[in-house]
Amino acid sequence: MIVQVALATGFVLILIGIYGALTQRNLLRMIVAFTVANSGVNLVIVAVGYLPGRTAPILDATVPAAEAAARIIDPVPQALVLTAIVIGLGVTALMLAFAYKLYEKRRSLDIARFSELKW
Amino acid sequence: MVSPILIIALGLGTAFLLGFLKDSQRGLAWLVTLAALAGMSGVSGTWLWALAEGTAQPMDVWTAGTPPPFAINLRMALPEAALTLLISLTGLLSALSLRDALLARGRRAMAVLLVISMALCGVVLTRDVFNLFVFFELIVIATGGLVLLSEDHRAVAAGFKYMVVAQFISIFLLLGIIFAYHATGSLNLDDMTHAGLLGHPVGAIAFFMLFIALVAELKPFPANGWALDIYESAHPGFSALFSAATGAAALFAVDKLLLVGGETWLPVATGIGLVTFVAANLLALPQTHDRRLLGYSSVAQTGLVLVVLGQRDILGDQTYYIAGGILLAHAVAKAGLYWLSGLVRERHLEAWAILRNSPLLVFAFATFLALLTGLPPFPGFYAKWDLIHLLAGEGRLWLLGLILLGALVESGYLFRWFGYIIKRQAPASESLEPNAWQVIPVLVAAAMSWALAWLWGDLSGHGNLLLVLPLIFALAFLFLDDLPAWLKNSLAIAGLLAWFGLTYELYDPLRLIFAAIFLPGGALVLLASYHAHGSRTGFYPSAMLMYAGLAMLILARTSFEFFAAWELLTIGSYFLILRGKESEPHALSYLLFSLGGAFLILAGFALAAQGQADMAMAALAQVAEPLAPWVFLLLAVGFMTKTAAIGLHIWLPGAHAEAETDVSPLVSGILLKAGLYGLFVLLMAMGSQTLYGLNLTHAMLWIGAITALVGNLLAVFQEDAKRLLAYSSIGQMGYALFGLAMMNHLGWLMALMFVINHYVYKSMLFLSVGGIAKRTGTRLMYRMGGLITLMPLSFIAVLIGIIAISGVPPLSGFGGRWIFYNAILDSEARLPIIILFLAGPIAFLYLFRLIHTIFLGQLKDELRQIREAPFWIVMPQMIFVAILLVVAVVPGLVLRRVDAYITQFFPQGALNWEGLTITSQYGWWNPVAIMIIVGVIFMSIFAWLLFVNRKAQKVKQFNIVFSAERPYRPETTHHAWNFFAPYRKALGFLTVPLVTLFWNGVTDTLHAGADFVRRFYTGNGQTYAFHFIIFVLAVWGLAMGARA
Repeated sequence: MIVQVALATGFVLILIGIYGALTQRNLLRMIVAFTVANSGVNLVIVAVGYLPGRTAPILDATVPAAEAAARIIDPVPQALVLTAIVIGLGVTALMLAFAYKLYEKRRSLDIARFSELKW
Repeated sequence: MVSPILIIALGLGTAFLLGFLKDSQRGLAWLVTLAALAGMSGVSGTWLWALAEGTAQPMDVWTAGTPPPFAINLRMALPEAALTLLISLTGLLSALSLRDALLARGRRAMAVLLVISMALCGVVLTRDVFNLFVFFELIVIATGGLVLLSEDHRAVAAGFKYMVVAQFISIFLLLGIIFAYHATGSLNLDDMTHAGLLGHPVGAIAFFMLFIALVAELKPFPANGWALDIYESAHPGFSALFSAATGAAALFAVDKLLLVGGETWLPVATGIGLVTFVAANLLALPQTHDRRLLGYSSVAQTGLVLVVLGQRDILGDQTYYIAGGILLAHAVAKAGLYWLSGLVRERHLEAWAILRNSPLLVFAFATFLALLTGLPPFPGFYAKWDLIHLLAGEGRLWLLGLILLGALVESGYLFRWFGYIIKRQAPASESLEPNAWQVIPVLVAAAMSWALAWLWGDLSGHGNLLLVLPLIFALAFLFLDDLPAWLKNSLAIAGLLAWFGLTYELYDPLRLIFAAIFLPGGALVLLASYHAHGSRTGFYPSAMLMYAGLAMLILARTSFEFFAAWELLTIGSYFLILRGKESEPHALSYLLFSLGGAFLILAGFALAAQGQADMAMAALAQVAEPLAPWVFLLLAVGFMTKTAAIGLHIWLPGAHAEAETDVSPLVSGILLKAGLYGLFVLLMAMGSQTLYGLNLTHAMLWIGAITALVGNLLAVFQEDAKRLLAYSSIGQMGYALFGLAMMNHLGWLMALMFVINHYVYKSMLFLSVGGIAKRTGTRLMYRMGGLITLMPLSFIAVLIGIIAISGVPPLSGFGGRWIFYNAILDSEARLPIIILFLAGPIAFLYLFRLIHTIFLGQLKDELRQIREAPFWIVMPQMIFVAILLVVAVVPGLVLRRVDAYITQFFPQGALNWEGLTITSQYGWWNPVAIMIIVGVIFMSIFAWLLFVNRKAQKVKQFNIVFSAERPYRPETTHHAWNFFAPYRKALGFLTVPLVTLFWNGVTDTLHAGADFVRRFYTGNGQTYAFHFIIFVLAVWGLAMGARA
């Protein structure tokens, strides 16, 4: 059940993010929309790796290595999410830097104002 | 062997190490960057060499010491080695081209350049999808950074738009990755294949998301506005990397994924690629911004490679040879062109005319163009040949047709640009200041182009074109281009004669005639080129390229050899024609018609070969119904573009008339025969064919007759002497076509007679008229007049020439006519014959003008001081006069053996050659007797005139009065302008340029349509994101359609 809820929430977040990115003309709002979508993606990834009734993939005294395969959830999606979050952070930072540069030039954050390059 | 992981380690490690340098040590940082990129190239290069030589086996690197799925693995095999070499070399050369920008920004920018090169190599090497995601995100971030190296402030917006789309892509990629992992339990591509990803319930949707994300990196139409904006605004050094390296890496990633997807997804890839290829090429037509144009072309070429990857099911083992040929050609050429664009300051296409100051750079540009458009001997040519043949073999004809159409459009805008470079005036603000850091990458790319040409020729199953002696000879002139023209001319003549001597034995009588016209005939026309001074840059490589093509054409035994020769002679003659002063639009139209024709020929050969990669020319005879008439149609129309049959003729008048004095006879007297040769070969092999009840040779008969009529009629109304001769060629080729299409013995003999005669008199007349135009400074006949005493030798040549053309006794034209009259008595086609008869007297009208308006009448004041044409232009004319007289007296010298040769095709109707008399079943002809009779009549009348002339009164120029006025200007006494006004009134409706209007309509529609459609690239980043969503939905629909 919890998996389905997490998956559904993740997809709803993704759709909200995509909708926001397509309809908000303010650069900063677009960037925020993307972070919402990214959170949704991350939630979906974690949800896919989750196995009900199991514990976190940390091998210590409570989870001996011998029993690990039967008792922990899949660690790979969690590793992927960590990487994805880091990359997402980098991209968001870069986008913000771009937005700042664009604002500096035009004193505007409206994406429609930056269309000299076309056709 | 060093481990391939060193490529990644070198890039990444050096990028980190740069951080330890002081910001002030920028020069050192730059050198370190270069060293790292060189090291990466070195590793890839050694692998490529070892894998190609077989001294190393493809290997997998387990990064964490364990096999997948527990760790990421990298693979190094032949394609990976080639692509990583391409990427790191492009990175290295771009680092040179970006030198100033990098030094201005310091080590951080250099680190970013290293990261992108490393990440691109990573995309190629990795077998892990999540690793692929990481590398792609690195590319996104690095691209965002490198775009800012541009001086164009709009680049910031372009970078942002790119990142918006990249966000969408990464959402799809991540979702695809996690569901693919969920379905197969592995992130490894090979595991996914083995686990049957597509068989799993969520597998298909996972694959779709992965696919869409990776394909979106290929900038597919219509989701590619962001890429075009980057191409337009980024630093050219980066655009080179973005086009060549990013494109190559993304294509390889898609290819890896397609192997997981199996055959179901191949049609989808083909569809996306094809739409992108055609649409991007069409949209490029109205572009005037150089870098954006190159961007469109990049997008198109990537699309074409995707098509090839999508055809893996039929291409099989050949896939990488073909895709690699197109991809490497595109990458090297596009990178070269972007680097070259760094040398041009203004961004419109005409500004590139500044390159003309450096023949070396023009050569590099021409090399890149030939590479992009797949001309021989470059890899794209071999690839295109094999691709088209395999497609035709499987009956994928729509695909074949659209690929050729897209390629033709692409050649159109690229060669139009080349025309600008050669012919336009560069803006005053432009100046060429070759900066070594920007020139070196260009020259390296040009050298790589030729190396690839060698490699692909070597790998091809058809033999290496760069080993063919005539082509080597022609290319050698590139190195000799600084020598004086007279020396190169002597070498060229010696080469032509020597080749003829070497190959003399190999020709049958028919081919011997063509060989004699192409080789010694070509040498004879080249005599006129001795008049040129200086070094005449570019003339000899072009001319010898054309001759190489011609020489290879008559020796061609297989369809591949034939087609390669055909393309070589086309491209050589294009360069030649382009040399004329006003010839820019005409050369382009010549090239486009010729390439269009060549593509039809290619399609015809491919259809005939039925899946074979190559076929003997003679095997055309074995092509069976229902294919045979289609093959015939394609080949015949292809050849008829070269002979300028009606409907396909509009390129000829301009191309022949605007060419230089000694080029006109080359392209008219000699080159047109290549088309006739093709038709001869075709008809000898395939004979008559019927398509839907229509006899195709009968249709050709009509085309020939109408071409003759219209060509002659148009010639009548010309004021420009060279245009008149050009239209006359159209008419003459109509006659020859008619003769061939009669499909009987005498018809063919007549066609051959036209081949010989047309060479002789048209070369001669073009030289005379060219010489006169040189002296008078005009080609308009009404501005000449009365030149008979000033230019007597030219007069003799023109007089003899028009007697020969008009077919009156005693010269060789009459022989042609006599055979023609005999031939039509054998023919059933009455109406076309009547049309052809009508064309005859019309020829008299225009020929008369050459004598009347140029040589007779009143001498104009400004021309009183002119002299005879230059010696070297007159000398070949006198030789032609001698040839005409000899052929007139003893036509059997050449025709007898051909007559016997034709007997094997048409045993009926051979001529009887006894003594000096030639007998057909309808009558006889004795050339010597005719010569004597005409001579006697001429001498008698001449003597009588001399006798009467004693009493004549000498009249001064203005010693006349009419309408009670005494004229005092020559212009008022010589009626020459619009000479045939009454005829124009009567027949003018036949000369309405319907065909020109039609073709103009076609090009205008394409331009206007493209100009309208490209407006959907609004420049708004959000619109581009919408395009991406539309693209996703369209592909989804396509994929569902392909499955159903």
